[in-house]
Amino acid sequence: MTEVLADTAPGESVSLERVPDEDVRARLLRLGFLDGAVECRHRVRKGPIVLRRNGTEMALGADLAAEIEISHAEADR
Amino acid sequence: MSCHETGGCDVDADETVALVGCPNVGKSVVFGGLAEQYVDVSNYPGTTVDTTEAAFGDAKLTDTPGVYGISSFDEEERVTREIVLEADVVVNVVDATQLDRDLFLTLQLLDMGIPTVVALNMMDEAEADGVDIDADALEAELGVPVVPTVAVDGEGIDELRGRVDEARAPESTPIERWFDELPDDVEATRAEKTLLVEGDEPTAERVSTGKVVADGGVPALTDVGQREDVYGHRRRRVEEVAGGVLSREERDSSWAERFSDLMLNPLTGTPIALAMLGAIFYFIGVVVAQKVVDFLEITVFGEYYNPVVEGAIESLLPAASWAEPIEFLLINGNLGLLTITVQYIVGVLLPLVIAFYFVIGLLEDSGMLPRLAVLTDRGLNRIGLNGRAIVPMIVGVGCVTMAVITTRMVGDRRERLISTALLGLAVPCSAQLGVIMGLLAGLGLIWWFGYVGVLLVVLGVAGLFLDRTLPGDSTPLVTELPRMRVPRPRNILRKTYNRTKMFLREAIPLFGATAVAISALDYFGGFAVIQRALAPITSLIGLPQEFARVLLLGLVRRDFAAAGMTDMALGTAEMFVGLVVITLFVPCILSMVMILKERDAKSALLMWVGSWIVAFGVGGLLAVIL
Repeated sequence: MTEVLADTAPGESVSLERVPDEDVRARLLRLGFLDGAVECRHRVRKGPIVLRRNGTEMALGADLAAEIEISHAEADR
Repeated sequence: MSCHETGGCDVDADETVALVGCPNVGKSVVFGGLAEQYVDVSNYPGTTVDTTEAAFGDAKLTDTPGVYGISSFDEEERVTREIVLEADVVVNVVDATQLDRDLFLTLQLLDMGIPTVVALNMMDEAEADGVDIDADALEAELGVPVVPTVAVDGEGIDELRGRVDEARAPESTPIERWFDELPDDVEATRAEKTLLVEGDEPTAERVSTGKVVADGGVPALTDVGQREDVYGHRRRRVEEVAGGVLSREERDSSWAERFSDLMLNPLTGTPIALAMLGAIFYFIGVVVAQKVVDFLEITVFGEYYNPVVEGAIESLLPAASWAEPIEFLLINGNLGLLTITVQYIVGVLLPLVIAFYFVIGLLEDSGMLPRLAVLTDRGLNRIGLNGRAIVPMIVGVGCVTMAVITTRMVGDRRERLISTALLGLAVPCSAQLGVIMGLLAGLGLIWWFGYVGVLLVVLGVAGLFLDRTLPGDSTPLVTELPRMRVPRPRNILRKTYNRTKMFLREAIPLFGATAVAISALDYFGGFAVIQRALAPITSLIGLPQEFARVLLLGLVRRDFAAAGMTDMALGTAEMFVGLVVITLFVPCILSMVMILKERDAKSALLMWVGSWIVAFGVGGLLAVIL
């Protein structure tokens, strides 16, 4: 089963692999969030997820986070 | 035409210098530093986005809404794109603490061939973060002037001003490899070509290939867009440039980061947010909307201004019958153009507008807004809104009129409609709430809970209904969280002043016209006719016919309606139904005017009619139950 962003726990480092919404993908790409590993910084239960990369923080709504497929950057996590 | 030829210099000049940068990079502070004298805030034509202009030597300096790139994802981006396409020079403000994020926009501007100067701002914060950037190396790497600045302290602003003349763009950039994909006969500038290969639809629609296809239209250029490739390639260049000029030293997390963590954790963030919202409500809803406004209305206008103006008009106008309608129009006790209308604008609106813009400025500059949005996103999702709609809802309890303006922040058209409709319908403003709370207190605590409960149910149901019936989907929350900062008072005061000025300039004619229309209706006996026509409806909710008068007063101002009810001899249940109805009933005339201004006439009319239906539907239902 593919993992989605909504399953990530705070502190985990993940790569965003597939972002179905085209506009959201372009916006994340612009900010560098598709360039490599990003840190999951916060999670509000059933709510938005906050990602962080090089000091830039980005909040994504729960429905979006459930659509975004990820892979874990480090296998041993 | 230049300023010299016309003599008087308005902000009308041959050359345009645009300030462009990501949100919260200190653009407005750089603008304030560069601007000479005259500053003018206005809506960008056809939008609800504010832009600021000022004189800059012989040129015009234009601020733009903060964006992470030039494209058309939202209204702000469209406005910035238009301004950039027309600008002669761009001053690109870059946050030194977020170099890797901000260089995307910089490289995009250079790809577009727009003469650019980079202001590398917030050098002090970068240093505190342990980030060291070699500005000279960056200048060499980008091929355009780079000036390190600390705009809030004025550092580097003079050098920046001096180097605007040196603005340039590299002769060619790697973007050109994609230009080959465009049809040969496309007539477009380098900037437009860049946007075309990035699949920017408005540019594709505007640029014609000259060819006419079989069905008579022009062939679409949208499908040549290879946004992902172009963006991906630009990102790799950003990484290279940033990697070459930046060195980072690990530092302990700052207070701002720790506070941000507390805000985003619901356990600690919720109490902080509630305390803050409580403080905002107290400031706007109690201190300003009640204490300051009461003082102005009762003392300044009631005791001094209105009697003086009324006396003056009465003695100026002859006692002839032709002068009577004029006198009525100017000084009638309901909405006289020179008395009550002025009282509403100066005594009610002005203090509220100033307080409101001040609070919004604080929330914006501190970085609170997006964090509040994260906390409330989940709840608001259920009624078709995302977390950004929390601000209008909270401000609405202070003053619905002001809150209608903040619906600009909540995202696309659909969300703006929903939040505006909910504001007009079920959010009581503090002026009204004060009187209503007084009346409910007389009925007992249980009725107070009942009142709040009914409103929340109506709010939820109306939100669900609008979410289901309006076309389209709600836009999910996607927002950057800027670093938390202690706001600079000067910047807040400047913003408050500029925005208040713009608001009054647009609102005063509207309110004046409305006052004249209402007074005319009043003079020709329209009110009595309406009151009779409403009789069947008031009996439907089990209330006497005088209640229609209360409703009419509510059209002018909602607290008048609530106050009007104190004079009526009503039973407990009747009083409760009456209070619910006047809350749900149409918003006051000022709010309606704002809704008309911010939305379109059709939506405003629908909301108006809708609030009649809901108010009497719910009232009728309660009358049956109780």
